[in-house]
Amino acid sequence: MTISLTVPDVLVARAKTGDIEALEALYRAFEAPVYNLARRMLRNAEDAEDVLQETFLEVVRSIRQYRGEGHLWGWIRQIAASKALMRIRREQVREAEVFDEATAAGQAGHNVGQALDLERAMQELSETGRAVVWLHDVEGYTHEEIGEMMGKTVSFSKSQLARAHARLRRALGAGTEVG
Amino acid sequence: MMHCTMDDLLALQAGEASGWARAHVADCAACRAELDTLYKRVAQLKALPALRAPRDRWPAVRAAVLAGRERRRRVWSVGSLAAAAALAGVLLLHPWGTDLEAQLVAAQQRSATLESTLQQVDGDGRVMTGREAMLASALEDRIAVIDGQLAEQQAKEMAALDLWRQRADLMQQLVQVRVTRANYVGL
Repeated sequence: MTISLTVPDVLVARAKTGDIEALEALYRAFEAPVYNLARRMLRNAEDAEDVLQETFLEVVRSIRQYRGEGHLWGWIRQIAASKALMRIRREQVREAEVFDEATAAGQAGHNVGQALDLERAMQELSETGRAVVWLHDVEGYTHEEIGEMMGKTVSFSKSQLARAHARLRRALGAGTEVG
Repeated sequence: MMHCTMDDLLALQAGEASGWARAHVADCAACRAELDTLYKRVAQLKALPALRAPRDRWPAVRAAVLAGRERRRRVWSVGSLAAAAALAGVLLLHPWGTDLEAQLVAAQQRSATLESTLQQVDGDGRVMTGREAMLASALEDRIAVIDGQLAEQQAKEMAALDLWRQRADLMQQLVQVRVTRANYVGL
């Protein structure tokens, strides 16, 4: 999904003063892309809605710090991605990623040769793998940026992307086995 | 025959592949097909339909924003008044002055100085990253909690001193986030 959102400077200026109607207008302008980003990164819709809410609370709290350098969507997207990644980290503390990966691998293995649709295949990835795929392939973040946001290395981001794509490839039953 | 790994294919896609991978994919039909599939998969990901939130979260955001404003207005004004009253009480009870009083005054002055710095920084509209914004909001929340505790503490000297020191330390961290753009402030 390509995002090309612009909002009038005067609206941002009003939002900076705390004008609640201007803030609502910003919410309405960016609600869909923020939710979409969060929903694509996270496994369930409820969590994505929470990220949407947390993101806009943060936007309201920090809008005065936005100086208009770069696209507003880029700034809001950074907040949303960070919120979603924080949620993934919290989840990983609760249930070990190892279990998540093993479960996902088992499901994917079970479906080898059976073409799943891409959305279902994405759902079968680990939370981290899905987030890296979405941030890198769709949102256009670099491995350096993803590594920084996740508090991990560039290599971590690259290896997560490779593993996730290998799993997608198996789940979608595409091509011959290589590598 | 050795084929490209997924790492190789992704490196090819990013234009960062090794000489071996570039040469191999030129000769190997299977790996070229894999690379094409990778390109298509990424294109399909980008073309996935936009998902929309099933529920409107604006009313919850609005309520939280308004409640937060009210809480800050109440806590900052009451907190400052109560803290000032507590300090005045301490000074009245011990007009001769003690080391504790001096420390309390020093902690309050440090907190006030940092708060003043922060107001100047806030005024220049600096851009914060998402991470900086999160750190700042977490620190602001903790300061608000301390202000609430100070409002309830009245003239318990040791507790007040401890709270004022904590407040000044948090304020220092907040200034660091806003001014020096520190990535890590111990949270």
